[in-house]
Amino acid sequence: MSISNFFNSSVGMYVAQAFSHSLIAALVVDRAIQAWRISSPLMRQRFSLIVILFPLVSFPIYQIMDPERGSLSFRLDTLFDINRWLNLEIWGLVPVSLLFIIVLFVTSLVFLFQEMIPIIKHTIETRTSNSAEEACIEHSLVSRALESLPGEKPSVSILNDDELILFSTTGKRPTVFVSSGLVEGLDTDQLQAAIAHEIAHIARNRRPLLVAVFIMRILMFYNPVVLVEFRRMVQEEEKICDDIAVSLTSKPRALAQILRKFNHRKEEFDIDRMKEILKLGEALEDYSHNVHLENRIRRLEEGNIQKIGGEWIKFLLTLIVIIFINYFVV
Amino acid sequence: MYKKVLGLFYFAVALAILISVLKITNWLPGVLQEGAMKKYSSIDDVRSKLKIKDLHVPSYFPQSVVWPPSSIMAQSRPYEAVFMEFTSARTGDVNLIISQVSDRGSINDSKISLVQVKEKTAYPLKGRNALLEVGLCKNDIPCSRISWHEGTSTITVTMRSTPFELLKIADSMLY
Repeated sequence: MSISNFFNSSVGMYVAQAFSHSLIAALVVDRAIQAWRISSPLMRQRFSLIVILFPLVSFPIYQIMDPERGSLSFRLDTLFDINRWLNLEIWGLVPVSLLFIIVLFVTSLVFLFQEMIPIIKHTIETRTSNSAEEACIEHSLVSRALESLPGEKPSVSILNDDELILFSTTGKRPTVFVSSGLVEGLDTDQLQAAIAHEIAHIARNRRPLLVAVFIMRILMFYNPVVLVEFRRMVQEEEKICDDIAVSLTSKPRALAQILRKFNHRKEEFDIDRMKEILKLGEALEDYSHNVHLENRIRRLEEGNIQKIGGEWIKFLLTLIVIIFINYFVV
Repeated sequence: MYKKVLGLFYFAVALAILISVLKITNWLPGVLQEGAMKKYSSIDDVRSKLKIKDLHVPSYFPQSVVWPPSSIMAQSRPYEAVFMEFTSARTGDVNLIISQVSDRGSINDSKISLVQVKEKTAYPLKGRNALLEVGLCKNDIPCSRISWHEGTSTITVTMRSTPFELLKIADSMLY
C-alpha cells in the first residue's frame, strides 16, 4: 500500500482528519481565549481539553451521522480536504504525504522519549520509594508549615540534597519531597506555600477525570497539535495548583518568592548556544520553562487570581463552532 | 456587557478569517499541481484536459438511469482516477457509480456502499475475470457491484439495483 493510498483508507482518514480537526480546534480555542480574555487557568484548561479530546471521536461520529461525508463529491465541495495536500508531489517526486508521515513519526518519538518513558520511570521510582517505607524526617520548620494548613496533611520527606527540589507522589501514601537545600533557604510561609502547592497536585492527580484525559492523550500520541496543547494544559495545571495553594495559605507573595528561587538560575536566550544544533532543543526548553515561571510569578505578584463563573456559555459556543467547522473538514 | 459583545465580535471576525484561510488553502493544491481531483462538465472534457485515452463508458443505460452523468470527478495525479455518478430517473438520487482507478491507487466513492455482501462470485465478462458482489446498501436497498482489471486500471460499477441491469451496463463498456 502506497502512502497516498493509506490516507484513503479508514485508518488513514482517521489519522489525517484527527490532525486537521485538532489544528482547527486549537486555532478556534486560541481565538476564543483571546477574544473573551479568559485568564482563569481552570477555564483555559477546559478549553484545551476540547483540542485533545474532540479529534479522538470526531471522525467516527461524523461518519456515523453522515456516511456520505466521505464521498468524493462531498470532499470536492467541502471547506477543506487534507487529501488535496497529501496528494501533492513536491517537484513531482516527493509526496507531501511522506513528509506528513515523517512529522507524525517524529511526534510519536517526542511523545515516547519526553512523556511516556519519564512517566514510567517516575512511576517505578515512586513505587520503589514507597515500598522502602522511607521515614518522614521530622523538621521543626516543616512541622510549623504543616500546622496551619487546612485539610488532610501529606507526609513530607526531606531529601538530603543541596539542589532545589520540590515534588510530590500520589500513590497509597501521598508524600511531598523537598530537598534540604530548599528547606534551608525558605521561611515558614514560603515552605507552607510550597507544600500547599504540592497538596493541590496530590488532590488533583487523584481525580479520575485527569487520569482519563491522560489516557486519551496517549491515544493521540502521533498528533503534533495534541502534543503542544497537552503541554499547555500541563502549564495551566501549575497555575491551577498555584491558585489552590493561595486559597489554602492566602500567601501569594510567598509562593512567588519560591518560584523566583527556582528561576534564579535563569539563563538568557543565548544566540551562541543556539548555533550548536545539539543544544538548540535544550536551550529552547530552558527558555520556555523560564518564560512559564516568569508568567506564574507575575500572576501571583499582581494578585491576578480570578474566580471563574459565567464562562460556560463561551465554552459551549466555542465547542459548537468547532463541531460545525470540522464537519466540513475532511 | 459591552466587553462581552466586543469579545463576540472579535471571535466572529476571527472565525470569518479562519474559514477564508481554509477555503484558500483548499483551493491552492489545484493551482500548484495540475491534474488534481476536480469536477468536470463532460467526459470529453476529462479526455482532453487530463489526456486519459482509455476511458470506458457504457453504451447501454437502463431507462431508470439518467444520461449524462450528474457528476464527473477526475484526477491524473498522483494517479489516474475517474468517477461518474448517475442519478435515478425516478428519485433523483445517485444510483449508479462508475469508477476507473489506476492500479497504483485506491480511492473509493462512498456514495453507494454495500453494507452487507450476500454473495461474492467470479464472473466472466468478455474474457475478463470480474468479481461480482450482490448485497444490500443502507436502508436494506438491494445493491450490486462488479469490478475487473482493464489494462493498468480497475473498473468498478456499483448500482442500487439487482445485478441484472448492472451486468448489462458492465458488458456494454467492453468490446
